[in-house]
Amino acid sequence: MQYIAPLAKLIEQFRALPGIGSKSAARLAYHVLEMDKSRAESLAQAIIEAKEKIGYCDVCFNLTDCNPCSICRDAGRDVSIVCVMEEPRDVAAVERTREYRGRYHVLHGQLSPLEGVGPNDIRIKELLTRIGEGEIQEVIMATNPDVEGEATAMYIARLLKPLGIKVTRIAHGLPVGGDLEYADEVTLSKAMENRREM
Amino acid sequence: MKVNKIILRNIRNYVNLSLDFTQGINIFIGQNAQGKTNILESIYYGAMGRSHRTNVDAELIRWQQEDGSITIVFSRMNIENSLVMKLSNSQKKEIISNHYAIKPRELIGLLNVVLFSPEDLMLIKGMPAMRRRFLDIEISQANPSYYQQLLKYNRIVSQRNNLLKKIRENKDKPDMLDAWDEQLAVAASKIVTKRQEAVKKLAMLANLMHRKITASKENLTLVYHKHEITETGAENLIKEYKAKFVQQRQNDIWRGSTSIGPHKDDLILTVNGINLRTFGSQGQQRTGVLSLKLAELEFIKSETGEYPILLLDDVMSELDATRREHLLVFIKDRVQTIITATEEKYFPDWEFGKYFHVENGTIVE
Repeated sequence: MQYIAPLAKLIEQFRALPGIGSKSAARLAYHVLEMDKSRAESLAQAIIEAKEKIGYCDVCFNLTDCNPCSICRDAGRDVSIVCVMEEPRDVAAVERTREYRGRYHVLHGQLSPLEGVGPNDIRIKELLTRIGEGEIQEVIMATNPDVEGEATAMYIARLLKPLGIKVTRIAHGLPVGGDLEYADEVTLSKAMENRREM
Repeated sequence: MKVNKIILRNIRNYVNLSLDFTQGINIFIGQNAQGKTNILESIYYGAMGRSHRTNVDAELIRWQQEDGSITIVFSRMNIENSLVMKLSNSQKKEIISNHYAIKPRELIGLLNVVLFSPEDLMLIKGMPAMRRRFLDIEISQANPSYYQQLLKYNRIVSQRNNLLKKIRENKDKPDMLDAWDEQLAVAASKIVTKRQEAVKKLAMLANLMHRKITASKENLTLVYHKHEITETGAENLIKEYKAKFVQQRQNDIWRGSTSIGPHKDDLILTVNGINLRTFGSQGQQRTGVLSLKLAELEFIKSETGEYPILLLDDVMSELDATRREHLLVFIKDRVQTIITATEEKYFPDWEFGKYFHVENGTIVE
């Protein structure tokens, strides 16, 4: 079936979003058509507002609506510890724990020669500048545990070690609350490798 | 392990085929290009998630059809399991194990097979890559986490090779390699350690088989040869790999590829102390391959507790009467086997198994 032009355009817009196939896109588009006009306007407004008001923090490069961001401004947080992450959504994940009281640094990517991403394409230089200011004593490498995340962590660690900065890597292993027997072999062998003395 | 039934829908030259297998030996007889190997290919696909004949899944779909599916019903430890693989020209393939969708990498290890085809006769004479592949397939089936480690290792190598090429073109600095070499050394050491363990076990089994076939006249030895590496033990290996990566750095940059690591290693076979690849006769090499394949069956049994399914693709005509006899005596009452052949004359008179006659996509029992 051929969709009428404005509807086809809306469906295409939805379909271009991650995780949305053509069927979901059509369902969303029909749903939007059934909305009150005011509801549709507030949806459009929310998108524009998010786009206009949210930018990157000049200090940590996390998403923020004020600059520097609320985390960088918070005097209650430990300025001597910085947690290095790949994406802003990773920051949100750590923040949900409410355990970590240091600051962040978002790289916006990982080193990957295959995709043409080198150290100048992610925010490594900015991290070094921050460290040059002298307050930071420990850097926690919290990049993903895949091959590229591992290389990114290793690369940064090698840059920071000569500066006398303590560099740590987040632990890999068993998920809490899970059963040992359900863990996959790779996770379990990592957990074995990284065991600690009691 | 036993395949009970397969159902092919729009696969190769089959529109709709349902076949029941017997516990013992299943023989598919037919002229060339009638569709015998397609049956083996489908079962192999269920074990490895890929064909042994092509890297393109779409080639399995019947000509001018949009999609096709392979369903395999098999018993593992006497418990019936099902596997459905849906192939399509336009969408990603779907794999369903006991009614749940799984990822392709989760497939390996569910259904274990050993394939013996005429190309395997080149295993000893051919390139080292064939022997590494032989080891990798065998270890992955017995130990699925090895397969994950292998994927990881290959990923690091391709990232590193890409970086090497960029450094050669002055688009990156050589010290960028440090970040990859560290991981590469750890991953390489893991692969090598697993392969060495497997070869040790396999060597013992293969020699037993080989002595049996040659009436104890020949001793077969298998040695895992590490290219440019002499250390043993995980920690020492990591150290040596790291040192060698640094040592070879200039050379690697110039070549644009990684010159040291398990992707360069080899499996060396000798008979009575003589290198089988360079000095063995054609007959000795064939016996060597047969011993290896039979050892592979025993190896998987010792790791998983059950014999895998043996797929013999047109090899009967390639083996002489004595070797054929050894093979058939070994598998009888032991390993479920699916054989393709052009003529019945290769099989003994004794009560042997279930014959299927294949003619142009139709099968008669």
